[in-house]
Amino acid sequence: MLKMHNIRKSYRTDTIETHALRDFNLEVKEGEFVSVTGPSGSGKTTFLNIAGMLETASGGQYLLDGEDVSGLNDRDRSRLRNEKIGFIFQGFNLIPDLNLFDNIDVPLRYRGFNAKERRRRIEKVLEQVGLSARAKHLPAQLSGGQQQRVAIARALAGEPRFLLADEPTGNLDSLMARQVMELLEFINEWGTTIVMVTHDPDLARRAHRNIQIVDGQVSDLQHAVAAAEAATA
Amino acid sequence: MLELKPMLSALWRNKISAMLIALQLALTLAIVSNASVIVQDRIEKMARPTGMPVEDLIAVTFQPIAQDYDMHGAVVADLDLLRSIPGVVDATHTNQIPVSGSGSASVFHSQPNQEIGGEVSNYYETGPHFMQTLGMNLVAGRNFTPADMRVVQPNEDARTQVAIITRQMADALYPDGDALGKSFYNSNGTDPVEIIGIVERHLGAWVSWSKAGNVIFFPRLQENNFKRYMVRAEPGRRDEVLKAVEKQLAERDPQRVMHIETLSERLERSYMSDNVMVKVLSAVVTLLTFIVALGIVGLTVFWINQRRKQIGVRRALGATRANISRYFLVENSLIAVTGLALGMAGAQIANHFMVSSYSQPALSLPVLLVCALILVSVSLVAALVPALRAANISPATATRSV
Amino acid sequence: MFGYYVSLAIRSLRGTPVLSALMVAAIAVGVGASMTVLTLNYMMSQNPLAHKDNVLYAVQLDSWDPNEAYQRSNNEIPYQLTYRDAMALLRSDIPTRQAAMHRYGFTVSSDDFELRPFSAEARITTRQFFALFDVPFVYGGTWDADADRSPVQQVVLSKATNEKLFGGENSVGRSIDLNGEPFTVVGVLDHWNPSPKIYDLNNGPFNEAEEIYIPFGLHRKFEIYSWGNTNGWASGDSGEGYEGHLQSESVWIQYWVELQDEEQLENYRDFLTGYIREQKQQGRFQRPLKFALTNPSEWLVLNEVLSDDNRVLGWLSLSFLLVCVVNAVALMLAKFLRKAPEAGVRRALGASRHAVFVQHLIESGCIGVFGGLCGILLALVGLGTIRQLSFGYIDQVATMDWLMMLAAVGMAILASLLAGIYPAWRVSRTNPSLYLKTQ
Repeated sequence: MLKMHNIRKSYRTDTIETHALRDFNLEVKEGEFVSVTGPSGSGKTTFLNIAGMLETASGGQYLLDGEDVSGLNDRDRSRLRNEKIGFIFQGFNLIPDLNLFDNIDVPLRYRGFNAKERRRRIEKVLEQVGLSARAKHLPAQLSGGQQQRVAIARALAGEPRFLLADEPTGNLDSLMARQVMELLEFINEWGTTIVMVTHDPDLARRAHRNIQIVDGQVSDLQHAVAAAEAATA
Repeated sequence: MLELKPMLSALWRNKISAMLIALQLALTLAIVSNASVIVQDRIEKMARPTGMPVEDLIAVTFQPIAQDYDMHGAVVADLDLLRSIPGVVDATHTNQIPVSGSGSASVFHSQPNQEIGGEVSNYYETGPHFMQTLGMNLVAGRNFTPADMRVVQPNEDARTQVAIITRQMADALYPDGDALGKSFYNSNGTDPVEIIGIVERHLGAWVSWSKAGNVIFFPRLQENNFKRYMVRAEPGRRDEVLKAVEKQLAERDPQRVMHIETLSERLERSYMSDNVMVKVLSAVVTLLTFIVALGIVGLTVFWINQRRKQIGVRRALGATRANISRYFLVENSLIAVTGLALGMAGAQIANHFMVSSYSQPALSLPVLLVCALILVSVSLVAALVPALRAANISPATATRSV
Repeated sequence: MFGYYVSLAIRSLRGTPVLSALMVAAIAVGVGASMTVLTLNYMMSQNPLAHKDNVLYAVQLDSWDPNEAYQRSNNEIPYQLTYRDAMALLRSDIPTRQAAMHRYGFTVSSDDFELRPFSAEARITTRQFFALFDVPFVYGGTWDADADRSPVQQVVLSKATNEKLFGGENSVGRSIDLNGEPFTVVGVLDHWNPSPKIYDLNNGPFNEAEEIYIPFGLHRKFEIYSWGNTNGWASGDSGEGYEGHLQSESVWIQYWVELQDEEQLENYRDFLTGYIREQKQQGRFQRPLKFALTNPSEWLVLNEVLSDDNRVLGWLSLSFLLVCVVNAVALMLAKFLRKAPEAGVRRALGASRHAVFVQHLIESGCIGVFGGLCGILLALVGLGTIRQLSFGYIDQVATMDWLMMLAAVGMAILASLLAGIYPAWRVSRTNPSLYLKTQ
């Protein structure tokens, strides 16, 4: 599904070159639920940005679904992102001016679906996250958990094969966090590959596999596999 | 405690926005200063003394219906009648209405038999009563007497032997200032016309003429197929006199077509294009300043909103309200001064073009500086309100996480 | 997608009403001010004879003072001809049509009507005037051929004068009194009011066309002096009295000819050259041989119908628009950058940079549409004010036709798109990941 080989990412300011990722290797298989942990500044977010094609790597190879995306232009990357990847953020990142229906509509518009198809999909995902009754509400009128469910619905509406979640429960209390986590697990069971960045060791353990990023590299893969096995056991 | 260096680096990071404001101010200064100098020029032009009590004067033009008409007789009878109307100070016949934009001019010389050179002058054909009617100030010599008058046919060579001229025309013909008693001549002419009087000033028929103020009065009545009168009313009685004039002239001789108007109306028409220019340019200047001020307000508000957290942190770290307001005001002044410095150069270039291509007045340094000063103040005032509001941002903002 | 972008734009504009109003106002004021001035300049620069630009020519002959060139004209040849020269040129049969003319005024009265006598603006001209300038007739036509040389008291009325005198009915054959003498109506014109008044620019290029038209053969009978400009240099050169005036070197007649092709033009040039040579032998035309044939569009330029003041205002208003555009750029930049997080989310959800750019450009375009519509209103107010300040003198040029309205909206959209390009580009280039982390 996702394969990174020797990925390198560096940021350059006037004088200093910072390596956010170096010799980064990772493979995620179809249907996996992988959690990513690591200390602040270790390169988690950079990894997520590259995985989601929001940024391009400075070097190395990135295969998404077997296709090498390293050399693609912005338009093709945007199309791939739209078709194959769903994003969930800690800050939800709903568009405050748009109601739930219109928020979920955004990726479908860029996909070029007709109005009927968009409506069908929006209604379907709203029902999946249990917010059908609130389609006309603005994000500000919902609780944090509800907002995150909308964000998940928006990520799911395009029926992506691959879901990227950045601290999806970071802004939620534990009850809400559990609900969101359960929803993600449910989605994963239906076949969507999920990569989730988190600080929370409990959540990390619920994934099939945990990888840890330290100083821009995947560290202690063995331990991660063990942890993953422990989680599934 | 001016934090110039961090301020400059903050500005550098927002350089596009800062440059846009500076550019606006530069363009505005170039436009406003050039417009102001034109407005000033036109206002001065319109404020020139006419040498007449314009508010009290009435102009009459009439055309007899019949082709054969005793014009001389009609003029004598009409003027007698006009002078008898209550409220009328005096009345005179004339070939042209002052400041109306329509009149006669010719070239005159101080020596006989001249073909080249000479001085061009607007001229009146009128009579002894013009002095009082037009409220003119005789500064030397004497007025016409009835004996000086000549009655002539159109295109009849009937030069008068005497004339009264304006001081400006006298100085043009005789720069030494001894014109009184001397003579002037037509082009190629040999018959002298003696200067018997000099009046202080009179603008003549055309207000926009480069030689406006060169005026000669001849004691003459031409019997052509239309005639004009100027009537002077007592102060404040013009409108009442106008009605009486219209009624009584029509009653005395209904067989003619008449047009009566006030001189102030005529003057306003003559200055129409100047007036339009002044009004349009003033509107442009005002609107432009307003738009630029609004733009500055908008952008300052935006910047401050972007830096709310930063301001909160500064406050939390001990900056006073005054520090915060001053920061934004100094920042604004830096931009304004840069923009206006650019604008001064732009204004000069634009003015060079205006002067060379469109014969507009040259831009003087004081006008430019005053305009720049006004724009700096406008820019500061525009930044003041948002800057004061910025000072009200609570230090608690620093700890809030949105 | 376009519809989606427009609905997003309108939502976005409504989301920040104050900033949106400022931007619309900036564009509207800029467009309003420049359209006010540009409409005036555009209308003043109209050529009402554009369709005859290839065949019509104003004739100028340099009959001026041997000692100095004619300074009041831009090509140093008097704009008008002497009566003698006009009469001589009329004898040529080279031009397809030609007309000599000047302005005058008659009193109009009649025993038959309960109408107060009034003074009418008159054009004294030759019979081909109407065909030369494509003047339309409702009734009748031009006067008899001999009226151009001998005193025939015939008159052609303008549509408005016929309304005033005869209530608009066919008045051909009826009689009116001009300066107390009876004239027979031979023709009535349809509405005709070229602006600028190109055939005679001497007395205000935006004055109305004349009320009555009188044959050229009546000069001596009525001792007609021009009511337009008369310029002379040789005073008392030709004797006294009216005949002296007619034979003098004073210029006061406008002269136009119609020449169909290059050959005819060449023939006419030869004719004029020959005429001037012949006059030189008689002691006239002592300046170097010089004449000019100018077509209508060049005639308008030569006579500076569009004054320096108008041009200054034109430049000024364009600079004004420029400031407004810069203003709008700054405000849009502020607004778009504030909305950058939203653009970031859209990028994450699959919008390409191009899509984000187009979306924001369309938002600027919407500002342009609103700005343009408000700008038209402002321009109408501006033109109304100028009409009021000008005592009706430029009523017919201070109006906006549909073309100018369209131009106003076009200009506003163009201005706002120009203003939007950089901000839209900026927002489409920002790194989306910057905005996707926890704020």
